[in-house]
Amino acid sequence: MKRRLLILPLLLVAVLAIGQKEVSGTITSAEDGIPVIGASILVKGTSVGTVTDVDGKYTLSVPGDDAVLVISYTGLKTIEITVGNRTRIDLVMESSVAFLDEVVVTGYGTQGRRVLTSAVSSVKAEDIQNLPSASIDQLVQGRAAGVQISSNSGTPGGGMFVRVRGTTSITASSDPLYVIDGIPVVSTPLESQGTGGQRTNPLADLNPADIESVEVLKDASATAIYGARAANGVVLITTKRGKKSQNARVTLNAYAGAQNFARDPSDQLVNAAEFETLINEARANAGAAPLYPDANSGKYDTDWNSFIYDDAAPIYNADLSISGGSDKVRYFVSGNYFDQDGVLIGTKFTRYTGRLNLDFDASDKIKLGTSILYSRNDRTRIGNDDNISGAMGGAYFLPPNISPYTADGSFTKFSIFENPIAVVNFDDRQMAVNRILANIYGEWEILPYLKFKTSGSVDYNEIKEDNYAPTQLNTGVAVAGSAVSAVTLDDNLIWENILTFQKGLGGEHYLTVLLGQSLQTSRNEFTRASGQGFPSNDFRRITSAAIQTSSSTGTEWGISSLFGRLNYDFAGKYIVTVNVRRDGSSRFGEKNRWGTFPSIGAAWRLSQEPFFPQGSFINELKLRGSYGITGNQSGIDNFASLGLWTGGANYTSSAGTRPLQLANPNLKWEETTQLDFGFDLGLLNERIVLNFDWYNKYTRDLLLDVPLPRTTGFISQTQNFGEIENEGWELTINATPFRKADFTWDISFNVAHNKAIVRKLFAPIEIYNRSPFRLEEGQPVFSFWFHDQIEVDAQTGDIIWRTVNGTSRTEAFVAGRDRFFVGNAQPDLFGGINNSITFKGFDFSMFWQYSLGNEQLNWTRFFLEHGGTRNTNFMRSQLDRWQKPGDITEVPRMASKNYAADLRPSRLVEDGSYIRLKNLTVGYSLPASLTRKMGMQKLRVYLSGQNLITITDYSGLDPELTGTAATVLTQGIEFFTFPQARVMTGGLTLIF
Amino acid sequence: MKKLLYILIISVVAFSCDVFDVEPEASVSDNAAITNAGGLKAAVNGLYDRLQSGYHNGRLFIAGDISTDISQSVGTWDFYREMDTYRVSPDNNENRDLFTAIYQVVNQANNIIAAAPGVADATDAVKNQSLGEAYFARGISFFDAAMYWGGIPGVYGTLGISLPLEPSREAVTLPRASIQETWDQIEADLQQAVSLLPETGAPARITKAAARGMLARMYLYLKEYGQASDFATQVINDTKFKLPDDYTTVFTGKLSSESIFEMQFDNADQSAIRTWYIPTSAGGRGDLAAHDEFYNAIPAEDERKKLYAYDANAKFYYPTKYSKAGNIDNIHVLRLAEMYLIRAEADFLAGKGNPLADVNTIRVRANLAPLVAINSVDDILNERKVEFAFEGQRWYDLVRTGKALTVLASVPRNNSPGAPATLTDAKRQVFPIPSVELNANPNSVQNDAYK
Repeated sequence: MKRRLLILPLLLVAVLAIGQKEVSGTITSAEDGIPVIGASILVKGTSVGTVTDVDGKYTLSVPGDDAVLVISYTGLKTIEITVGNRTRIDLVMESSVAFLDEVVVTGYGTQGRRVLTSAVSSVKAEDIQNLPSASIDQLVQGRAAGVQISSNSGTPGGGMFVRVRGTTSITASSDPLYVIDGIPVVSTPLESQGTGGQRTNPLADLNPADIESVEVLKDASATAIYGARAANGVVLITTKRGKKSQNARVTLNAYAGAQNFARDPSDQLVNAAEFETLINEARANAGAAPLYPDANSGKYDTDWNSFIYDDAAPIYNADLSISGGSDKVRYFVSGNYFDQDGVLIGTKFTRYTGRLNLDFDASDKIKLGTSILYSRNDRTRIGNDDNISGAMGGAYFLPPNISPYTADGSFTKFSIFENPIAVVNFDDRQMAVNRILANIYGEWEILPYLKFKTSGSVDYNEIKEDNYAPTQLNTGVAVAGSAVSAVTLDDNLIWENILTFQKGLGGEHYLTVLLGQSLQTSRNEFTRASGQGFPSNDFRRITSAAIQTSSSTGTEWGISSLFGRLNYDFAGKYIVTVNVRRDGSSRFGEKNRWGTFPSIGAAWRLSQEPFFPQGSFINELKLRGSYGITGNQSGIDNFASLGLWTGGANYTSSAGTRPLQLANPNLKWEETTQLDFGFDLGLLNERIVLNFDWYNKYTRDLLLDVPLPRTTGFISQTQNFGEIENEGWELTINATPFRKADFTWDISFNVAHNKAIVRKLFAPIEIYNRSPFRLEEGQPVFSFWFHDQIEVDAQTGDIIWRTVNGTSRTEAFVAGRDRFFVGNAQPDLFGGINNSITFKGFDFSMFWQYSLGNEQLNWTRFFLEHGGTRNTNFMRSQLDRWQKPGDITEVPRMASKNYAADLRPSRLVEDGSYIRLKNLTVGYSLPASLTRKMGMQKLRVYLSGQNLITITDYSGLDPELTGTAATVLTQGIEFFTFPQARVMTGGLTLIF
Repeated sequence: MKKLLYILIISVVAFSCDVFDVEPEASVSDNAAITNAGGLKAAVNGLYDRLQSGYHNGRLFIAGDISTDISQSVGTWDFYREMDTYRVSPDNNENRDLFTAIYQVVNQANNIIAAAPGVADATDAVKNQSLGEAYFARGISFFDAAMYWGGIPGVYGTLGISLPLEPSREAVTLPRASIQETWDQIEADLQQAVSLLPETGAPARITKAAARGMLARMYLYLKEYGQASDFATQVINDTKFKLPDDYTTVFTGKLSSESIFEMQFDNADQSAIRTWYIPTSAGGRGDLAAHDEFYNAIPAEDERKKLYAYDANAKFYYPTKYSKAGNIDNIHVLRLAEMYLIRAEADFLAGKGNPLADVNTIRVRANLAPLVAINSVDDILNERKVEFAFEGQRWYDLVRTGKALTVLASVPRNNSPGAPATLTDAKRQVFPIPSVELNANPNSVQNDAYK
């Protein structure tokens, strides 16, 4: 039973005076000789233990001379020592390569990584601290193998695309379950008012500085304890807590910076002279007279984009936290202010949070505590992203040869588009979020090896949105001002009871059994009022509107669960974990309400076997395997199984009803079966640690909106139909090329591959306007469905298309028939690489993140490479058009047949591979001797740059964008989407 | 043991909390929807709502008009570009949405037809009226579906449409009926409606006159001129209706005296049609416009020419029949002027009656000189072209008379200067069955031109 650490008492320490002997001592660090505060001292095979105080001292009662103490601390090598006849044991702890000694938070517990049977990625606070991002998911990007994260939009506080081992569903959600300090939280956007494709991110309610660690549970052995909600992985977020007997520690972090775009949108478009030349050429090709006989008049050359961006949009953040603890009470209190202006003028995100994490020993046996977050945030939004009437839509579509303003000083209007200057300055959309995420728990140590914990949690979200479209905008002028005010209340209550048995069974057998039960109810209330016809733009509240309408509705659902886990460990060599969870959801009919989700995982540490050569090149080798079933019910309607009629089908102010959906009493859980094999390998004294996993996830009985014949009067019905397979592998390498007292160098690298393929589908499903995506049996998810442009005929300048029987050289191309799969937005490889170096007081880190082999659709080009079939502006790529025989280009002759509205030319699907310098940070900490004189423990100043370099062949603004975040089935499509900012910040950290 | 008992108690209490006790708050079970008079009334209101939601909200009219020589797409949406260049794809959104909306009316009507006779607390009058409204709605839905996706026996098209006659309770996959069966069903439904509907009704409701008007239109299309003339005459002789002297008031106001059936729109129920035609400077989208040639051909003195305006920015003429702020313009499904022109055409082709008088009734109201004689049916069709412009009639007139291929041989389109649109394929006189229907319904088949 070496280094057995099942529950590390980081949070909860039970001191039990059952031993016959007292041992005390001091723990110091080998590196700098200073005391190690908060090191864990545990009597092996029991839960008896303590932690070192502010001077590195500890006192502990042990059962006798045979007792073995296990001393551990993150970042230092774990020590095991037999007490013997000593009463004083002073120890010096050496730095550890750390990775395998880390403690991993798992569902309803913690485990040492060495004895983990499952696939779990961890990101620690120190890896992500002080980075200028609003939300934690953004910070995890590229740092956890197999976790694919993209910024859908650069909107401050905007939504992210997060997939743990791929996409498992079509109609239901493929987002992971987020659990914060044990509370399964709301992570789907709750805003009701759209701005286009842009969604808000509920995880931005959290203060990233409060976070101690993020664990991503990936395989079935890790996730099945969350059963019916675990098919898409589970992200466990653990916040910081106070430590026992620690003086108050005050930490102040502050940074400020400026943001701009890496690529200037103005460079994507032609100027006025080029615009007029192109329009004239299109007309000449059609035999029409030029529209602009003096095409180079230079009367107006409006760069619309120059009006809507702030080249130095400010970003500020300040965190203050106090943590510490006495003998009985541990506390962590923090406050945060975060303020980010978008580079797109008129967008802003401001957040204020307060947190109290408290643990209190009411007695030797009873512990009580809370984790409470209050978050308030305000967003200022404008119409943009997947929105042709948004700011970027206007800036791109509007031709450059017109003036931004008319003679009377009002905004120039063109076609259906908004004047972008009016959008950024006058579109008025406010959103305020109040969120309380609170947990209160009591823990009772019935016996030294048996604990009972009960906890109640609430996740309360209040979202207030107030939009006003003033008369400067088309939408406002049409109705003399238009306002919407909406309140969403989303209230989630959770009660969990857990019994944990944890005991050495004599010899080298070690058993942990967990039994638990959980109840959750979720209620959503929505009230909306709208008004049109305002006396003037000075009146914006609906009370002043001539026409006022309102409505309200509500819905709820509940889930009840029983779960258990058995973990058996023999000699730290053979470890088996069995999980079972049984969930019942109100979303399904009586017949199929309950689902059972089992898993089994096993690990064999070969390196612990006697036959394994000691002192070899390989220090640690563990083989792992797991298999299990998890479920999914999120993302479908609360009453999807019922045949319903709805109200609201009114006529001439008389109430009416109509059919809403067909009944499906057989509706049940979507099930994902996952098989995982992996190994953990420590080399060269664990200076190099590799973790590898291969997995196959097969999802059956998809919760799918199966299209119904429209002749039934219905569009679709939620059924269990379809199958998706995800297969992939992940590799993480952590290496420490150097570790000396004043010079360390750590490298962390990860790479992953995942392909999600549709295995069974009722009929192909076309996705998004003009169906650039299509789901079809045997094809990967996020496949692009286009007319395949083979080339532009060098003689005629017309496109030669592939047809179902070959090319159109021999057969006529039929737009309605000749569409093909021409690419896929899923990357072949993705991950990140981080280098961090410390040299004396300096620290340096460089983090690259990459995605390779994915296609990205530049859908903006579809509209702005129009060949003269529209009267709107052109992308610069239009300048590459065929002009005369012999021209070799992919952009055809400016003729309507090459740019007809029903064509989806494959040239718009580009290679979206990229590698990005996500972060570069240089910091300097004053020497400890100096800071102590100043009464501080630490003073660090740093400069940091985010998204500094992006290497890509993609022609658009950002290869990471997904313009249509509103639908989960589109990926890799840029469409007037606000790109991520390049951010430069400077900051300081003070610890007292 | 006492300790374990406490745990047991907590667990039992927790487990007995019923988290499954939830009910929908904004909907009712389909079995409970039409079980009493109140439910029947609500379902009939819902029938009108379905008629006006994605069908008679302007969508039907636009799809037809834009495919002719009176309207065109000047915006960016490809679904209208496809229609005005005769390249409609089976994926076309507007084609799909019109198809969907029409069959939603059919299902609503089928629910009423199935449930109304069994509603115990409804009077026979209420039941008959409800059934009459449902049969009318189903008849007109099948009529428009037949015109778009099926055809007229002996005129155009090869196959009729799917004819669901029962409420949908599961995913039924109906094959397409023959064209003859389709029109037999339309006739049967409209005849049922005439017999069941009351003579008078609340404003903007379906009455006997509406069913007679639809039958007149149907028999004209089927070239049964005697029947067409008879039903038109019944409506013309109905004293409830009369032509207002000023044509423009039919559109500037609502529910004029010539309105036989009009879909009523208000702030809560807005029609979409204005947005498409009215330019951005006046608060619309300006994606659609009138044809210059069409506008220019209307004589200056024609009162009907007053319902057009010029967008100086985009340099297009656009109709102002639908221009009420807040998109509250009504949709004119049937109005008296059509009855005069149906009778004129039917009588002219049958060689009886006084077609000249009927045509001149319409011309004189429009401040035009009366015709001295009708030289050909084109005189009547040209009158219809101006009278019912942007009311969805032009496309029907061209395909039912077999003139589409000649009239639409070279239609200039402002969005493709120098490249006029041409309808060359007779099989494209029907629109494609939407791909979403074919994907989900293995028993349906695509129209020949779109295979």
